[in-house]
Amino acid sequence: MLGWELPPFFAGGLGIHTLNLFSIIGRIENITLYIPRFTNEAIRYAFRVKMVNYNPVGSPYEKNKEFYQKVMDYNEILINEVSKDHDIIHMHDWITVPAGIKLKEKYGKKLVFTVHSTEYDRSGGFYPQERVLKIEREGMLAADRIIAVSHYTKRIITEKFSIDPNKVTVVHNGVKSSIFSSFTKNYELKNKILYFGRVTPQKGAKFFIEAAYKVRRYIPSAKFIVAGEGDQLNEIKSLSYSLGLENTVNFYGFVSEAESVKLYLDSDVFILPAVSEPFGMTVIESLSTGTPAIISKTTGVGEALNHVLKADFWDTDKIANYIIAVLKYRKLREALGIFGKFEASKFSWENTALRTLEVYNSL
Amino acid sequence: MKFIVMFLEAHQPRRLNNFRYQDIGTGKDYFWDEKNRDIIQRISKNSYLPTLTLLADYKVPITLSFSGILLEQLWKYEPSVPELLKEYLRNSGELAIESYYHSLSSIWNPDRFLNEIRKDMEMKQNIYNREFKTFRNTEMIYNDNIDKIVNNLNVKNILTEGTDSLIWKFNPNFIYKTPHGHNLFLRNYRLSDDISFRFSTREWNEYPLFSEKYLSWLSNSPGDVINLFMDFETFGEHQRKETGIFEFLEALITKAKDYNLKFTTVNEAAELLYPQREISIQDYISWADIPRDLSAWLGNELQRDLFEMLKALSGCIPDNIYNYLLTSDHLYYVSLGTTPDITVHTYFNPYGSPYDAYINFRNILEDLRQKYCNKN
Repeated sequence: MLGWELPPFFAGGLGIHTLNLFSIIGRIENITLYIPRFTNEAIRYAFRVKMVNYNPVGSPYEKNKEFYQKVMDYNEILINEVSKDHDIIHMHDWITVPAGIKLKEKYGKKLVFTVHSTEYDRSGGFYPQERVLKIEREGMLAADRIIAVSHYTKRIITEKFSIDPNKVTVVHNGVKSSIFSSFTKNYELKNKILYFGRVTPQKGAKFFIEAAYKVRRYIPSAKFIVAGEGDQLNEIKSLSYSLGLENTVNFYGFVSEAESVKLYLDSDVFILPAVSEPFGMTVIESLSTGTPAIISKTTGVGEALNHVLKADFWDTDKIANYIIAVLKYRKLREALGIFGKFEASKFSWENTALRTLEVYNSL
Repeated sequence: MKFIVMFLEAHQPRRLNNFRYQDIGTGKDYFWDEKNRDIIQRISKNSYLPTLTLLADYKVPITLSFSGILLEQLWKYEPSVPELLKEYLRNSGELAIESYYHSLSSIWNPDRFLNEIRKDMEMKQNIYNREFKTFRNTEMIYNDNIDKIVNNLNVKNILTEGTDSLIWKFNPNFIYKTPHGHNLFLRNYRLSDDISFRFSTREWNEYPLFSEKYLSWLSNSPGDVINLFMDFETFGEHQRKETGIFEFLEALITKAKDYNLKFTTVNEAAELLYPQREISIQDYISWADIPRDLSAWLGNELQRDLFEMLKALSGCIPDNIYNYLLTSDHLYYVSLGTTPDITVHTYFNPYGSPYDAYINFRNILEDLRQKYCNKN
């Protein structure tokens, strides 16, 4: 397993996925995870972890030149560090692809590539970096099997990267449901609408602000919360001020997982107007707390959900209609929340692990 | 000699417009009449016209029903259908009477229910110049209470569903009596659904269904009558002409006599046969979904919320709007279904999801409330 990050350090979506999934698979198969050395402490995991002597410090969501170089340096080191006694090499996203391809050539092993997101998603459609697209495509071509986190992502892989669909298996993510589902939601009106996630063009934060502007005309007391940080935060702040929303939109900054549970429970509805979201873990988290969700049609997890409201990310009139309806009509809030919670309960890391093992066994 | 009692139900609602909260107070139309026109013209072409032509050509006696609001829309968008219906009824067949607006008024407002039936009766008698004696309520909703209300009218026969709990005790291939002395016909749902649901299902182990095989089933099914009740749209719309459904129907009509079977209307069957025992039915039954009760319209909180609001607003919204809101389809679109039925609901849902249907309808009721009912 070629990794990049692992909780408790740099806990992005990729790290959470790695930890949850391989804590289960690690009990069945003999797994070794290679990651950069982010600590000298010994932390126990349910699988073997080999720390490579390289600490890049950076996020795959940064677009800067240094980050790209750090990835290349890390991959160079990986090629020499990974031993030959593994049957399968499993890489995750472009940041581990160069090493994966080289290791396959070097040892003649099978190669699995999990695509959590592509450069098309991360760029939100604006100026995807050609060199990253190229690495992604090379990884897809070299891989014996590709795991996509949704059918939405599979379509991107087959249509934009022209990859044979027979090579691609869809495996949805799970959710650590107990953290989110062990509270009882009450459906009294809270007058709060939640955005929780990175503040980037990909996640569509701008459309959240536009919807807030349109809702305020009908419900002046509604409060819109932006929880999260990101490179678009300042732009979003100035947009909301220029629309005169300083008393309507509140910025909470970084929010931990424990705090996020409280935020969901204290909101009437969660909004994810993502321009391109391969999966959308937060949707499942929100539903698990019993909080209704309004999501864009370009959010992968929506393909497996009936009890959410879906709109085009740019259709802020429709999103506003949905928000107002959820706030005004209590029965709607309850039905979406209660059925949504039930529907979310079918997502588990155990299922994800089983499906991933099936992919290994098919090689 | 055994009778095939075929009953075809034709109905289309006046669908509601896509109505956002922001549309409240703007004077936007409540009804989606462009869509209604398109659907009615399409179904007329696919189903009503070719089926009626076939029935008229063979002068085969069956019982038909066109809901009042469908006939209204047909006169407006496709008058050749009611004209052809006239032609058919001149020589054979009968029309059934129902609640004009295809509403649920039978379960909450007996006066409104009776008025709807009278309106339907008058309209049909005026146009088709005959008295009709067969009644079927919206979506076959029925129990003893409905039998009692209908007793105020000149109705002889009532149609309803042969639910599992009924046919356990009563073979649906006989005619029964209601507590108020009406003839009661129970739908034979297995043999009906063989045509309406399964005819073109390749996964069905009886596929393909040829007329000889089907007629031999009818002939071997013990009793006096085979009650084949289904949507009119089965012929040509749900089962497309490419499936061979019209050839199948034609073969049933022409070959029935070889199997000692004869097509007849509900009323003729009631005159020729003597009814069996009396059946008393306490709980509401219907022909919808798996549970065959009211849950297709009132099964979840969203549906009950809309229905309660509709009832509460009766009296203040003008009739020419209100009556069309009562059509059961508007609530059916909000059904969250049980798993096997959700596909049926999705098939008939013009709004994409039950939640969209709810929000739409609820926004319209909110607009009407603010406009006419003076409550804020």
